[in-house]
Amino acid sequence: MSIVAMLDEARAARRQKTLIAFNAATLRLGGKTIIENLDLEVRPGEFLCIVGASGCGKTTALRLAAGLYRPTSGAVTFDGEPITEPRREVAIVFQDYGKALLPWRTAAGNISLALEASRVPARERGARIEALLRKVGLPGHADKYPSEMSGGMQQRLQIARCLAQEPTTLLMDEPFGALDAMTRQGLQDEVLSLTHASQTTVIFVTHDLDEAIYLGDRVVGLLPHPGRIGIELDVDLPRPRDQLATREHPEFLRLRRQLFDFIKATEH
Amino acid sequence: MNRAAILWRVASILVAAGLIAAWQLAANLRLVSPVFLPGPDRAWAALVRGFSSGDLAGKLIGTLEHMAYGWLAASIAGIALGALIGSSKMMRAYVAPSLEFLRPLPVSAIIPVAIAMLGLTRGMALFVIAFGAIWPIVLATIHGFAAVEPRLYEVARSLQMSRAAIIGKIALPSALPDILAGMRLSLTVALILSVVCEILAGLDGLGQWVLLSARAFRSADLFAGVILLGATGYLTSIAMSLVEQRLLAWQTAAR
Ligand SMILES: Nc1ncnc2c1ncn2[C@@H]1O[C@H](COP(=O)(O)OP(=O)(O)OP(=O)(O)O)[C@@H](O)[C@H]1O
Ligand SMILES: [Mg+2]
Repeated sequence: MSIVAMLDEARAARRQKTLIAFNAATLRLGGKTIIENLDLEVRPGEFLCIVGASGCGKTTALRLAAGLYRPTSGAVTFDGEPITEPRREVAIVFQDYGKALLPWRTAAGNISLALEASRVPARERGARIEALLRKVGLPGHADKYPSEMSGGMQQRLQIARCLAQEPTTLLMDEPFGALDAMTRQGLQDEVLSLTHASQTTVIFVTHDLDEAIYLGDRVVGLLPHPGRIGIELDVDLPRPRDQLATREHPEFLRLRRQLFDFIKATEH
Repeated sequence: MNRAAILWRVASILVAAGLIAAWQLAANLRLVSPVFLPGPDRAWAALVRGFSSGDLAGKLIGTLEHMAYGWLAASIAGIALGALIGSSKMMRAYVAPSLEFLRPLPVSAIIPVAIAMLGLTRGMALFVIAFGAIWPIVLATIHGFAAVEPRLYEVARSLQMSRAAIIGKIALPSALPDILAGMRLSLTVALILSVVCEILAGLDGLGQWVLLSARAFRSADLFAGVILLGATGYLTSIAMSLVEQRLLAWQTAAR
């Protein structure tokens, strides 16, 4: 076998590797089957978007991946091991940023919480916090309390705290759902550049089909009652994505149409 | 301070001045015999005399000590107990009914028990003060711990924070407004019970001063003691609100 072929094979193998895997995962809560026989594999470095009608189990699937729930049967694994508890290398960005921040700590203090948990020495924290605030576009807001910040700023702060965990994987549950369109687009591009630079694996839950296609390498649509996979689309759009050009791309429009029809059919 | 606040302050000072003037008038007109009711002038003179030549300062310190020790013991035990019960649903379910039974027991019902067990001692006084002052703190702490945003516990889990860190960095600060409110209520309870115990056990303090003055018909001294007690309650409560304002600065940051 030639060296080139071997390298190709190695690269293919790496691409085939899975980081997070749902194997026939089923979750029952309160006597109700919320997720049934979910099979899903997420590759390292992949940006996977999950869409679906309200109540179909998107949040629940994400919480399984986070280790906040354990499957009733089947398995959810991270790097081959069953996920039993949340781990520091997997950061969760909650939709309700207002509830996920400590109101009694300033922006710097909230980021510091993650650094303290990772046992970063006190004298290193200041510089790290400053760098993180700059990274998410909040320089100079270190001493503000969350209640003094807009929704977009609070969500940036939550993302900064998650980045402070130095995660290899980000789980994001409708992170921009409560934000206005302009803020939303800005944050979409920031998340893309932040995660692309560090090769972070992302599972991104959203209601917004356009957002899913714009961000994702792959989009999975869930069917409700119980939650299971209904559609899986590879997104072959050039990166870096561009708010205007990408959204006008014929492939974007084709995928959008396909997803739209799928969601329409699930909602009868 | 804005205009309205200044107006309120002026108005409250005027009301106080009016009450003192009415008191003086009542004394001057001898509506009540001067044996029982001295005027503010005589009460003030007794207060000054008590501090300069008498033992009033020592009595004040005695009462402050009883109050402070009892209250601090109640605070530490109350927060610990409240945290223990409040941080677990099971504990809340099992322990809350017993608490509901103990809580409405008037402390006066405990005093004979405490005297029987501990005698007329300082230890008895501190036990009674702490027992009376602990309830507002325990209940407030349970409430504060039960009301912690569950999302924050999930954040803590995803950061793999230790149990101690979760209590110290999430639960306690989140419950702090409730805890401080409970501690403020307890401050008054502690003062009242300090006086009661000093009277019952003859411990060095304002309670004893007031009792002895009353027995000797030294009404001016009696009133001096009462004024001092009022001032103690007022000033400790102001000190407490200053501490609250400092610790809860984040609550007022945006509003
Ligand atoms: N703890 C629970 N106990 C019982 N049922 C639950 C629980 N959590 C969620 N469910 C149910 O599971 C289903 C899926 O919930 P989930 O929150 O995952 O939906 P979702 O797709 O995230 O919805 P949305 O788009 O509205 O956020 C819903 O029908 C919900 O009522
Ligand atoms: Mg959801």
